[in-house]
Amino acid sequence: MIKVGIVGCGKMADQHALQIQRVPGARIVGVCDAEPLMAKQMAERFHIGGTFTNVQEMLDTVKPDVVHITTPPQSHFPLGKLCLESGSHVYVEKPFTVDTPEAEELIKLADQKGLKVTAGHNAQFTHAMVRMRELVKSGYLGGKPVHMESQYCYEFTDPSYAKALLGDRDHWVRKLPGSLLQNIISHGISKIAEFLSGDRPTVIAHGFTSPFLKGIGEEGITDEVRVIIRDEDATTAYFTFSSQIGPAPHQFRVYGPKNSLIVDDDHQVVIKVGNKEYQSYLRYFIPPLGYARQYLGNLNRNFGKFLRRDFHLPNDAALKTLITAFYAAITGKAPMPLSYREILLTSRIMDDIFRQIHDQRGS
Amino acid sequence: MGRCQTAQELNLDSDQSTYIIDPEGRILVTGANGFVGSRVVRALLASGFKGVRCLARSTGKAGSLEAIVRESGEESVEVIKGNLLSRETCLKATAGVSVIYHLAAGVEKSYPGCFLNSVVATRNLLEAAINEPALKRFVNISSIAVYSNNGIPRGGLLDESSAIDTRMVERFEPYTYGKMKQDEIVLEYAKKHDLPYVIVRPSVVFGPGKAKITDRIGSELLGVFLHKGLGNRIPLTYVDNCAEAIVLAGLRKGIEGQVFNITDDDLPTSREFLRSYKRQVRRFLSIPVPYGIWLLFCGLWERYSIWSGGQLPPVFNRRGCAVYWRGNTYSNRKAKDMLGWRPKISMQEGLRRFFEYMREAEGKKK
Repeated sequence: MIKVGIVGCGKMADQHALQIQRVPGARIVGVCDAEPLMAKQMAERFHIGGTFTNVQEMLDTVKPDVVHITTPPQSHFPLGKLCLESGSHVYVEKPFTVDTPEAEELIKLADQKGLKVTAGHNAQFTHAMVRMRELVKSGYLGGKPVHMESQYCYEFTDPSYAKALLGDRDHWVRKLPGSLLQNIISHGISKIAEFLSGDRPTVIAHGFTSPFLKGIGEEGITDEVRVIIRDEDATTAYFTFSSQIGPAPHQFRVYGPKNSLIVDDDHQVVIKVGNKEYQSYLRYFIPPLGYARQYLGNLNRNFGKFLRRDFHLPNDAALKTLITAFYAAITGKAPMPLSYREILLTSRIMDDIFRQIHDQRGS
Repeated sequence: MGRCQTAQELNLDSDQSTYIIDPEGRILVTGANGFVGSRVVRALLASGFKGVRCLARSTGKAGSLEAIVRESGEESVEVIKGNLLSRETCLKATAGVSVIYHLAAGVEKSYPGCFLNSVVATRNLLEAAINEPALKRFVNISSIAVYSNNGIPRGGLLDESSAIDTRMVERFEPYTYGKMKQDEIVLEYAKKHDLPYVIVRPSVVFGPGKAKITDRIGSELLGVFLHKGLGNRIPLTYVDNCAEAIVLAGLRKGIEGQVFNITDDDLPTSREFLRSYKRQVRRFLSIPVPYGIWLLFCGLWERYSIWSGGQLPPVFNRRGCAVYWRGNTYSNRKAKDMLGWRPKISMQEGLRRFFEYMREAEGKKK
């Protein structure tokens, strides 16, 4: 049995707990929150025995094999360090840490201790992303990606997050170096990072405040970002974050030398763009039929999973997949679901983006 | 925005000797920019109270606290923009107050969100309140939804003596869970610190400013309105009537530790409400769903939810189904007897105002 502890009993912790309960052989043995009422409510609802307000006390008492850290990002590094030093593996919610030096130190410590750490990049494990990865591994692209496009957007019309953030000048998101962006874009960046070579890609970022936010007096928040990335093998990528596109797209396109793939994460659709020639006007008639067939195939795949109780909401399903894979890695049954290189590269690209946006704002 | 209550309509006691504070007493209203909170502020001001302090996360739009402050003259009202999760804000808000009307609540979708903004926020407010020597009453606004009707026969009376539903998680209602836990913490502080409190549990509050037909009548599923209330009496209270009951709960002498459910008189059946709505606001297709059928559907949904490991969350479940659609009768006798409250706006007039507001809202949609 894998004994699990959770630090931070907010909304993310609930999502984690629901998925951990679905992982065979895992049991939540303790929850911890600086606010005792929050720890208590979570323990009550999930029937968890150990309730703590002090992380060290939880680590000493229930000795969890793995700790999930679902607190605001500013505390990820010190808490992660504490858990590793006490001998627990660590799952850190995104963003992994506040900056790359912290990420490097945490990973280094995990290695020194013979423990494992992972980042909450669960968007990498939606049904569609898993299928995309399988196709890429099978060689469908015909080589290393030539170019990628990652769109990871957020609509400010969604009241739950916007209300909390815009209504509270002291919200922890505002205090992150990358503010709103830092709490959201790691999902979109990690998709690109997975396929980049080298450790120091070139990053050119442009960020600004949307007219919508300016209109409500929120000029301090950057909510529009366009990024160009190039690695040492000349693979390039565009990343887009926008709060103003409706509906907010979450898409990933990867273009290979031979074929390409389109992942529509909003609808869990993967479309293969094949390099097949048709004579004359047939190119306008045959491929659309092929696309229609692919969309029907996606419907069939999604609905089949639903009937088998294996679909769930994509982010929940992805979280369960990542947690299951991480636990398998902990027990030595499988490789790590996310490489440290990918986690660090995501962090470095994000640091670069925030630095450039900060400089642009300064100038 | 529909028509607001006037001072003449309010008619709180002209003889205020039965009140625990005089018009100069300092009063705090949390959630003051909300649908009900703003009406409580308006009622207090219209009744001549001069030391009303409003706490709200924002003051624009919603209940239009800004407009109320402008109308009343700023010398009677103090507005604090802040969040009860900040202990400093709680201390600032409670300083020197005699009565606290606590209407702020967590209305998020998640359990932790509702719990944080209802229970933790209330605990912070209570912590500040118990150290306030001037405090004479803490009025906690709960909800009639916290009761269980398990054990009450169909059509039986649900009143202040009914049992609280302690299995709220099975109902999958984060808001009501938060409210139930909020009541618990108020009772805990009352016991530990001798806090003088009153709990008010409004039924479904309706009126201009809230463009929604209560789920107790029915809800839309795939574009079709499922009419689930049928012959049930719907526990409604018009927003200004409710606000007045809340105001009285904070003022009336000799009611410490009491709980009051607030429903208006002449409650319509769900059928009557829907018929009038369609006639006066908008015609639409509705399908009557008998209780037994809906209960069966909820039971099957609940079982599927468990079987599928939550692939579909248990939003429809038998426990919630019973509370909202099995049908009960309600009483406002206690509020009338002990608070001296009367719903001043008749049900007919309240519905007329609500339908007029909804007509405007529907018109704007087009």
